Amino acid sequence: MKVIEIKHIVKIYTEAELEVIAVNGVSLDFDEGEFTAIVGPSGSGKTTLLNMIGGLDNPSSGEILIGGMSITSLKGSELTNFRMRNIGFVFQSYNLIPVLTAKENTEFVMNLQGKSKRECETRSLELLKAVGLEERVNARPAKLSGGQQQRVAVARALAAKPKFVLADEPTANLDSKATETLLEIREKLNRKENITFIFSTHDNRVVKKARRVITLEDGKILSDIKKNGSD
Amino acid sequence: MNKLVLIAWRNLYRNKRRTLITAASIFFAVFFAIIMRSFELGSYDHMIKQSIELYSGYLQIQQKDYFDDMNLDNNLVYDEELIQTLSNTAGIKAFVPRVETFVLASTGHQSKGIILTGIDPLREADVSNPEHLVIHYKLTSENLTLIQQEITLPEKQLEQLKIFQNTGYNNLDRLSADIGLKPHEFDLYRKVFEKYCRVPGIYLSELDDGLLVSNRLAQFLRVNVGDTIVLMGTGFQGSNAAGLFPVRGIIHIPSPELDNKLVYMSIQKSQEFLNLNKNISTVVVNLNDADQMLSIQKELSGKLDPDKFVVKNWFEINPTLKQQIEGDSVSGQIFIGILYVIIFFGIFGTVLMMITERMREFGVMVAIGMQKKLLSRIVSIEMIFIGLAGTLAGMLASIPIVVWFNHNPIRFTGESAKLYEDMGFDPVMPTALIEGYFAWQGVIILVMVILACYFPLKKIRKLKVMDALRA
Ligand SMILES: Nc1ncnc2c1ncn2[C@@H]1O[C@H](COP(=O)(O)OP(=O)(O)OP(=O)(O)O)[C@@H](O)[C@H]1O
Ligand SMILES: [Mg+2]
Repeated sequence: MKVIEIKHIVKIYTEAELEVIAVNGVSLDFDEGEFTAIVGPSGSGKTTLLNMIGGLDNPSSGEILIGGMSITSLKGSELTNFRMRNIGFVFQSYNLIPVLTAKENTEFVMNLQGKSKRECETRSLELLKAVGLEERVNARPAKLSGGQQQRVAVARALAAKPKFVLADEPTANLDSKATETLLEIREKLNRKENITFIFSTHDNRVVKKARRVITLEDGKILSDIKKNGSD
Repeated sequence: MNKLVLIAWRNLYRNKRRTLITAASIFFAVFFAIIMRSFELGSYDHMIKQSIELYSGYLQIQQKDYFDDMNLDNNLVYDEELIQTLSNTAGIKAFVPRVETFVLASTGHQSKGIILTGIDPLREADVSNPEHLVIHYKLTSENLTLIQQEITLPEKQLEQLKIFQNTGYNNLDRLSADIGLKPHEFDLYRKVFEKYCRVPGIYLSELDDGLLVSNRLAQFLRVNVGDTIVLMGTGFQGSNAAGLFPVRGIIHIPSPELDNKLVYMSIQKSQEFLNLNKNISTVVVNLNDADQMLSIQKELSGKLDPDKFVVKNWFEINPTLKQQIEGDSVSGQIFIGILYVIIFFGIFGTVLMMITERMREFGVMVAIGMQKKLLSRIVSIEMIFIGLAGTLAGMLASIPIVVWFNHNPIRFTGESAKLYEDMGFDPVMPTALIEGYFAWQGVIILVMVILACYFPLKKIRKLKVMDALRA
C-alpha cells in the first residue's frame, strides 16, 4: 500500500538573485513498512527532499500526499500536529532539547501527544535500553557524547510510535557498533510496528540493509533500485 | 502544562546569571519606585496635615454665602443646634468657632492689611494649637556671641546656627533638631541657650484683650511683645471697628503666606470689636481620619440646613496646596515612569535575547510537533517568573525601609531645613505606610512584562522551522 506519494516536486531556493534548484521534479511512492535509503553526493538534495516529506519545508511546486492526504495544503499548526502524530525525525545534527535529560527528550513527543506518565516512562526506558543508554537516562545532552546524543535522538524519533521515521544521516556520528545497534532496532521495530523508514545516508552499512536505494544527483533521481528479500 | 513549567524553570536555571540580572533590575526598579513614591506620598500627607492643622482644618462650616463673599454680614449663628449636630457626628475629633476678617493694622511706623482671626484660646488647642507657635526663644547675632563666650560649639553646628539667625522657636528641641543635634547632645548646651535666647511672650487667655501677631508681620510692623497695635476695619453691617490692642506674644507660623498677615485675638474680644454679638464666621472641624473627610463632609451637608450652611473641605478652602501637591506628584510619577521605561527595555532585551539564542531549539521543538503557542507559553512563564520574583523581592525589601522611615522620618538640618521652612514646610520627610501604591508597582511591572513579551513573542509566532533549524 502506498503511504507516501510524491508528485513532481520542485524546490527552488533563491539566494542573492541566484536560483538553486535543490530538488528538481522528483516523483516517488513509498510503501508501508518500507526501508529506503536515499544516497547521493553532498548537495544533491537529500536533506531538502526529506524535509519536504516531513512537512518541515514546502515544495515550490508539486504535491505530497501522505496516507492519501495532501500535506502541502495544511496550514502551520495543522502541519505541526501532523508531524507530532505521524513522523519521527532524526536530524543531521542531533538537535536534542538542552534542558531536558535523555529520558525527558525521549518522552517529549509522547508528552505532546498526551500519553500517560506510565506509558511514557515504560516506552522511553525500553528505547533508551535498546540504544544502549540505560545508564545515562538522566543525563542532559551536554553530558553526552555526539554518538550518545544521536542515539537519544533516535530513541526520541521512535518513542511516539510514528508512522514514518525520517532520518537525515543518522549514522554520521555513530561508530560501527552503534550503527549496527541502530540498524537492529530499526529492523525489530519495523517488524513489530510496521514503521516506514526513510534514511538519507552516505553509509554503506545502511545502504546494504535498505530494501530500496534511491540515488539523487542535482536534485534529480538518478536511480531507484528495489532489492528483493533483504528486508 | 507541568512540562512547560519544568522547561521554563530549567531554562531560567540554565542561564542563572541572566535570570538574576533581569530579576535584579526589576527588583531595583520596584524597590526604588516604592521608596520614592512612599517618600512622596508621605511628604504630601505630612504637608497636608501640617497645613490643615495649622489653620484651615479638614472641614469648615460656613454661612452659605461666606465662601464667595468673605463679608462679616455673611456670618453664622453658633447655636446649640449646630453644636449638637457636630457633637453627634462620628469621626469628628474637635471643632472650634472662629471669627475671621480683614482689617488694617497700624503702628507708628507701618500699616498693613491683615487677617484678624478670633479664636477660642482654650478649645483651639484641639485644632490648630497656636500655643505651640508662640515664640519663646530667638537666636540673634548678639546672643550668639554671648553663647560663644560661654561654650564652644562644634564647627558644624555653629555654621548651622548662623543659618537660623532670627528664626523664632517655641522650644529648644526644635532648634536643636534644625542644627542637627540629638537631644542628648544638645543637653550639654541647653542651659546656655535657655539663658541667652529666651524672649518674652505668652499665649492668649480666655478673655484676653491682647493679640498674638505672626512673626513676619511683627517684624514688618516693628512691634514686640508689650507694644500696641491699632486695628481698624468694618464690623457687622458696616459698623466702624477700631481699637488699640497690646501684643501678648509673637507666633511663628510655618507658612510664609500666613506668617505675613495673621493676627489672633480671643473670640469674645473679636465679637465685641466687630459688633458680631455671638455670631461667628466659620466652624473649623478636625477629623480623626483624613480618609473620612469626603464622607463626613457629605454627612454634615445632609444634616445641616442648606439654606443656611455650607460645608467646605480643605482643598476647596486651600486649592493652591492641592495643586502644588498634584503638580509635584505628577513630576514624581514621571520620574518613576522613566525608571520603568528603562526597565521595560531591559526586560524587552532579555526576552528578545532569550528567544533569539534559542531559535534553533525552538525550531527542533516545532519540527517534532510542538505548537508555537506552547513555546510562547514557556517563554511567558519564564518572564512572569522573573517578573514576579523581582517584584516580590523588591516589595519585601522595601517594607522595612518604608516602615523605618515612617517612624523615623528623614529630618533635614541646616541649609536644607531652612529652605523647607522658608517655603512653609516642616523639614521632615516621612514615608507613607504600605497602601495601594504598593500593589500598583507590582501590577505595573507585570503589565510591562506582558508588553515587553509581546513583540519578541511575535518572533515565535513567525518562526519558520527550516530557518530556525539552520540557525
Ligand atoms: N536554505 C537554503 N538556501 C539556499 N540554498 C539551499 C538551502 N538549503 C539547501 N540549499 C541548497 O540546496 C542544495 C541541496 O541541499 P541539501 O542540503 O538538500 O543537500 P544534501 O544532499 O542534504 O547534502 P549533504 O549530503 O551535504 O547533507 C544545495 O546546493 C544547497 O546549497
Ligand atoms: Mg543533508
